[in-house]
Amino acid sequence: MNQNHTQFSSGSDRRPQNRPETIVSISIIAVLLVIAVILFVRQKDTDIRRFGITAPSLQLTPKPIELENSPVIQQPAGFDKLSQTEIYTAENLYEKIDGKAPLYTEAGFLKLYCQRLISKTDPNLWMEVFLYDMGNVRNAFSVYSTQHRADAKILPIFTQTYGYGTSNGLYFVHGRYYAELIGSAESDQLVMAMLETAANIQKNPVSAEDLKVNELDLFQSENLVPDSMKLYLKNAFGFEGLSDIFTAQYQIGDQIITVFFSKRLDAAEAEAMAAGYRKFLMENGATAKQTTSDFLKDKIFEFYGVTEIVFTTGRFVVGVHEAENQDSAEKAAMILAVKLSDSDKAKQ
Amino acid sequence: MNEQEKTRHIGRREFFTRTAKAVISIGAAGVISRLFYDKKGPQRDSKAEKLVTLPDFSILPEAGKTISVVKGADRVRSVNKAIELLGGIKRFVKNGETVVIKPNVAFASPAMLGATSNPELVAEVIRLCYKEAGAKEVFVIDNPINDPASCFMLSGIEKAATSAGAKIIMPAPPLFANITVKDATLIKHWPIFFGPLEKADKLIGIAPVKHHQRSGASMAMKNWYGLLGGRRNTFHQNINGIITELAMMVKPTLVILDGTMVMMTNGPTGGSLSDLKRANTMIASCDMVAADSCGCELLGKKVSDLPYLVKAQEYGIGTTNWQSLNPATATLE
Repeated sequence: MNQNHTQFSSGSDRRPQNRPETIVSISIIAVLLVIAVILFVRQKDTDIRRFGITAPSLQLTPKPIELENSPVIQQPAGFDKLSQTEIYTAENLYEKIDGKAPLYTEAGFLKLYCQRLISKTDPNLWMEVFLYDMGNVRNAFSVYSTQHRADAKILPIFTQTYGYGTSNGLYFVHGRYYAELIGSAESDQLVMAMLETAANIQKNPVSAEDLKVNELDLFQSENLVPDSMKLYLKNAFGFEGLSDIFTAQYQIGDQIITVFFSKRLDAAEAEAMAAGYRKFLMENGATAKQTTSDFLKDKIFEFYGVTEIVFTTGRFVVGVHEAENQDSAEKAAMILAVKLSDSDKAKQ
Repeated sequence: MNEQEKTRHIGRREFFTRTAKAVISIGAAGVISRLFYDKKGPQRDSKAEKLVTLPDFSILPEAGKTISVVKGADRVRSVNKAIELLGGIKRFVKNGETVVIKPNVAFASPAMLGATSNPELVAEVIRLCYKEAGAKEVFVIDNPINDPASCFMLSGIEKAATSAGAKIIMPAPPLFANITVKDATLIKHWPIFFGPLEKADKLIGIAPVKHHQRSGASMAMKNWYGLLGGRRNTFHQNINGIITELAMMVKPTLVILDGTMVMMTNGPTGGSLSDLKRANTMIASCDMVAADSCGCELLGKKVSDLPYLVKAQEYGIGTTNWQSLNPATATLE
C-alpha cells in the first residue's frame, strides 16, 4: 500500500485529501463560477445604446474628398466649375447616388470622381460628370451594359469603345472607368461640351488588359442586335448561382431572342452551374418542355409562358432566357453553342 | 527527496498561510474594484438618446374620399383636381395651421430628370395651403445627406418653394432626435429629422413615381426615407423592411404621388430623359399604401412585386386594394 497518499510530506506525487483545503478550494471555484455567470448574463445584454453608442445611427459617414483640380476630368471650353471634384469611395457612395450604390459596389467599384460644370454664358446649362473607377474593364462594362438606355445613339466618339448618347447625356466605358455625363437640359451647346469632356476623359491612358472585354467576341456577329450585349456579374435572372453571365439579343426571323453564356474554369463547374439553374427554374414553377432535339431534352423549360434553355458545352454554360418562341430559342441556342465550342477547340 | 519534490510539498501551516494570503489578495482586489465601480455606468448622450414620437398627422377618413386619381399632363391642374376630389385642401389644412411638406429632394439633379419632386407641383401645393386653406406657415423639408443646399437648389425646389412663400428647413444636427417605432426591428433609437415635425399640425408628402434599383419602386412610402439620419444606407440590406417601418412611423395628412412622368428604368437616380415615360397620372391619398399600390401599376408592376406593400397591409397601415376604396377619378382635357 502506498502510504504517501495519506501523509502531507511523504514525497508522494498525489496530494492527500483534506477537508478545510477542499472546502476553501470549492468555495473559490464557486465564487469564480458565480462571477462567470454574472459576466455571461451582463455581456448577453449587448444593447450598446444603453451607453449612448447608437451605431450605426450616429456614426458619421466619411465625407467625400474634394479636389481643386481633378486628375481625370478636364473642363471644356466655355464652361466653369460649378463644384469641386468630389471623390467617393464604397463607404460613402450611397451619399451621392443613394439606392443605386449597390449596383456599383457589388460590381467591384473603387472610386467615383464627380464634378459639376456650368456654362459661362447660360446658367441654366450645366452638366454633372460621374466617373466611376470600377477596377477593370469587365466591371465597367457590366455597370454600363446593365443600365443601357433604350434610345441610345451610337456616336462617332465611341466607335472604339462601349458608349452611346441620349438627348441629355453621354454614357461610356474608358478602360477601367464607366462615365456618365448628364446635362441639365437638351441643348446643342451642352452636347458639344459633353463631347469635349468625354474626349478629354478618353485621353487618360488605358492599360492593355482593360482595352476590351474579350468574351464579347464569342458572340456571333450575324443577326446580333446592335449594342445588346450585357454582362451580369452576379445574380443573373434572379438566381444567385448565375455569375459572370454574358447576354446578347439576336434577331431570329421575327423574334428577338436573348441568349447567354458563362465561361467557367472547367466542364464540371459549368455543369454544376447549369444544373443549379435548372433546379432553380423547376423549384419556381418551370416544367420540362417537349423538343425534337435529343441534345436539348431535359434542358428546355416552360416558365410562365416563356421558354428557358440551359445546357453546357465544354466549360461554357449556354442558354436562352425568356424566349417567346421555342423554335427560335432552340435555333439561337445551338448557333451560340457551336460558336463557343469552336472557340474552345481553337484554343486547345 | 530531490529539489523538485521539495517544492511540490507544503506543510499544513504553510497551506493555511498561503490560503490566507490568497484570500487577502482577492479581498483587496474586490475592495479596489468596488472603489472604481461606477454604479450609474456610462451616461447616455442626452441629445442622442432622447426618444421622441412623431405626432399623428392623419385626418378622419371619409368614405369615397380616401384616394383620387386624375389623368392629365398639367401637374398644377391635376393636383388641384385630385385634392378637390378628396374634399378640397380645407379638409386637410385648417386656417392658422403649420404645414410641413416633404418632397423628394434626394439628388442634386435637374427637375426634368424626374429623380426629385417636381418644383411646380411643390409650389402649387404650398400655394393651396396658404391661399386656399389659410395656413400660418409652410415648411419644406428633406434630408438628402449629400450637400442638401445643392440638392434643393439644382432640383429647382428651393426657388419654387420660397417663391410660393414656404420656408426651406435644411437638415442640421440639432433638428434630429432619436425615435423608436413600436413593433419595429430597424427603426430603434434611430435619428430622424424631427425638429420641423415637432410643432407641425399637418404633414404632406409629395413624391414622384420612380423605379428603384433596390426596392423595385420609390413612391410615397419610400419618400419618408428622407426623414432618416445616421448611416441609413445600412437599411438598404433590408429595403422592404425599412420602407414598411417608415410607413409605420409616419401618419401623414395626405400624400401626393406624381406619375405625370414616371422613371421606368435606372432609378432612383435616372440620368437620362429616356429613363422617363409620360403617364399623365396624379394620385392624392390619405392612405399611402393605396397610393403606392395604384402608383406601382404605372411602373408596370403588381403589388406582389413590391413586398413592402404586402407587409404594410399586413401591419394595417393601409390597403393594397386601392380600387376597394372607390377612388374618385377625373380626366382633364
